Amino acid sequence: MKYLLLFFLFGLVASCIEISDDLTLNNDGSGTLRYKINLSASKVKVNSILALDSLDGKPVPSKTQISAKINEFVRLLDAQVGISNVLIEENYTDYIFKFSCDFTSVRNLQDGIKLSLAQISNDKYNTSAEQFWLSWDGNTLVRTIPAYVTQQIKNYKLENEESLKEGIYTSIARFERPVATFENKLGTLSKNQMAVMVRTNTFDLKSNQHLLDNTIVLTPR
Amino acid sequence: MNISIKCAFLFVVAQLAATNSWAQLKAIQSEQLLPKDAVTVFSINNISLLQKISMDDLVNYEFMSEVHQELFDGSTSGKTLKDAGLDFNQRLNLFYGKTFTHELTGFTFGVSDKVALFEVFDDFQVLQSPIPGLEIYGTFFNNLLIKDNKAILIRIEPTMDHIDEVTDSIWYARGNEMPFEFFDETPQEDQILNEQTFEDNSNNNVFPEATENPAIKNYYELRDSVQVVLQQKELTRVINEIFLNGINLHDHDPRFAAQLTHNAEGAFYLDNARNLDKSQGLWYFQTVLPTLYKDLQELYAGNVILGDLFLRDNQVDFEVEALYGPALGSIYSQMNDAKFDKNVLKYIPASSPAYFTYNINLQQAYEQAYKVMLPLLSDEKNAQIAMNVLTLELLNEFIDKDALFDTYKGSMFGTFNGVKKIKTKKIVFTYDEETFAYQEQETEADADMPVFTLGFSTARADIPEMVLKHMGRLSSRVQRFENYWRIDNAILDAAPLYILNTGKLLIFTNDEDLARHHTAGYGAEALGKKQRKTASKSGFMYGSVDITETLDRFPTEVLTPRNAEIISSLKGKSGRLELTSSETTEAHTTFKLSYSYTGAESTGKHLLDLVNSLYLIYTLNP
Repeated sequence: MKYLLLFFLFGLVASCIEISDDLTLNNDGSGTLRYKINLSASKVKVNSILALDSLDGKPVPSKTQISAKINEFVRLLDAQVGISNVLIEENYTDYIFKFSCDFTSVRNLQDGIKLSLAQISNDKYNTSAEQFWLSWDGNTLVRTIPAYVTQQIKNYKLENEESLKEGIYTSIARFERPVATFENKLGTLSKNQMAVMVRTNTFDLKSNQHLLDNTIVLTPR
Repeated sequence: MNISIKCAFLFVVAQLAATNSWAQLKAIQSEQLLPKDAVTVFSINNISLLQKISMDDLVNYEFMSEVHQELFDGSTSGKTLKDAGLDFNQRLNLFYGKTFTHELTGFTFGVSDKVALFEVFDDFQVLQSPIPGLEIYGTFFNNLLIKDNKAILIRIEPTMDHIDEVTDSIWYARGNEMPFEFFDETPQEDQILNEQTFEDNSNNNVFPEATENPAIKNYYELRDSVQVVLQQKELTRVINEIFLNGINLHDHDPRFAAQLTHNAEGAFYLDNARNLDKSQGLWYFQTVLPTLYKDLQELYAGNVILGDLFLRDNQVDFEVEALYGPALGSIYSQMNDAKFDKNVLKYIPASSPAYFTYNINLQQAYEQAYKVMLPLLSDEKNAQIAMNVLTLELLNEFIDKDALFDTYKGSMFGTFNGVKKIKTKKIVFTYDEETFAYQEQETEADADMPVFTLGFSTARADIPEMVLKHMGRLSSRVQRFENYWRIDNAILDAAPLYILNTGKLLIFTNDEDLARHHTAGYGAEALGKKQRKTASKSGFMYGSVDITETLDRFPTEVLTPRNAEIISSLKGKSGRLELTSSETTEAHTTFKLSYSYTGAESTGKHLLDLVNSLYLIYTLNP
């Protein structure tokens, strides 16, 4: 895997995965990103894979290796400009991984992730990490799903489409003031009007990687 | 054309061919070209085989396109195996051999049409032959030797150690210094992460530069020259041995010659004693403990594995005979001198698609091995060995062997009972409607789990019971129920393991149904009378796999998509695999692996369909 060893597991069990990206954006453009990967529904399969030395000729990483790689990524990201409070929770019983970090601007967030991924993967020419997936002008947030995530889902081969439909991707954007409009028809607005959620299954996301793209306009300050 | 060893393998597959009726040929021919150093041979009896598999059918299979690509390059496009000039009245013999200094691989075959043959082997150059009547052809790696209507295609490669030894000897004798930069920093294995890309760095180039005088070779040029010379020298030796002195495996080893007289489609030969003799892994014994090594050689003397492949009506049989010398044979015969434990049969359900029984007497095997091995070890004048011998003798005296071997007698059985749904827990993310605040909820989930059972014969049920009791005190995951023990989350951190201690058997299973409802066995649902009789009469081991049932019940969800696809592609094939063994004597044990199937198609076609299915999966999903 190019980015994180965690994606090794991700790529194998995309059919029963739950992913949540949760972006809180302050008026000044700073905010918090929370990213959660839940493999608990696939833990039998994950455990059976981790019990192997290799799979399809590729070595299977140990839990220690996965943890070391995740923590290396956390250390690298924490050192990036405009990024702070990088935290990771690893639960190897249920295979739930929760990541969060604060950022001073969405540009700093994307640059920080891009640079950290490039450093950790030794892949300086990665095109998917080059793409920007967030933009914010003070009133409008335009967001897509990062290419390094959609690429993993796109690469996933499965003859049984039904099981891919069990995977869920949830994308939430939270704000300090009410939302005026949003474009994505799959989106729902929270009752307090301050958050928009878009959800789909991994099968639909594999078919259309722009399914969760959204443009959210806030009420004027 | 690029003839490689891969091609040789494909060539063997390709020999599964042709419908024509072939005259029986009594004379043995191509096998008389097998080098005596061949330790492994797979010999195909074309005469018998070709009556059962159609070459016309064969050449139409998709996997044959690769065979033809290997054999026939662009200049011979459109040709098939039928046009290769092979004499199908002779055997095809694929061999591998190893001496202390070289490896030999290749195959021998009959030639019916040399013109056609060289349209296939069209990049072989004619070489000078020192022996009248022998034609020698060569490419960079391979040599083709033809005499009369017999041919051997052979690749000889000196071992790396031998090349290094000779090269170093010449290099230093010429007054050169060490050719390597031994202390250059090279990345340690643990520093190399999987996803890192290696980059060529010219600064780290450790290859010696060319010498100032172009007439003087640097180390690697010298090494290349040494390799070529050693290769040629060994080829000359093999040619003289076979074609001048008439020494070949067939005439050298009567056991191999006898094997070829069997009326089988294929014959297999593996000389384990010589394998051991040439094993590089035993260099420590060879150099540091030569006496012990010699004793080991004597122990393995006569250890040969011989096999026959029969294509019968709706059945493929592979019959194997393992021969051994008196010392090793005495251990094996004691080990396999065990009364079949009929208790195990009660715990194998008739519906089980795959199961095995293994019946040995570990205590007798230990006593005999102790009797045979200890004198060998005691003779060795080595401090470490002496200490080990002392430890072994003390343990032998102090340990209650009866208690040990009554607890684990050595006999066992195993079953695969298909797949069952098990209850596991999963976490789901939920969000409230007001703010989309996040929460985690634990819910029940189903997961498919293959159901396996493994049981061991025991005469001391009290000992595992004692261990389990103590484990139960240490961990709440180990719980005692009326007739069984349960260890929670023992399997893949998700499913419980059940342990049944029946008094005569200690059974481990993840099958809750067996633990709760069949602690005394499956009763009428157990194996039928015929199957029980076959298993109990089958020497020290018996195995049965209903391929259709096993594949149908195998949980493809736990496989990668590619492997799941392979399993799915095989699901259309019916068949049963059965492994039986004879009782072991001091001289030999025989095994028989049978693959049987139902259906009207011929055995050969059924096999080729299987090969082709696998080929298509691998080539369509490289």
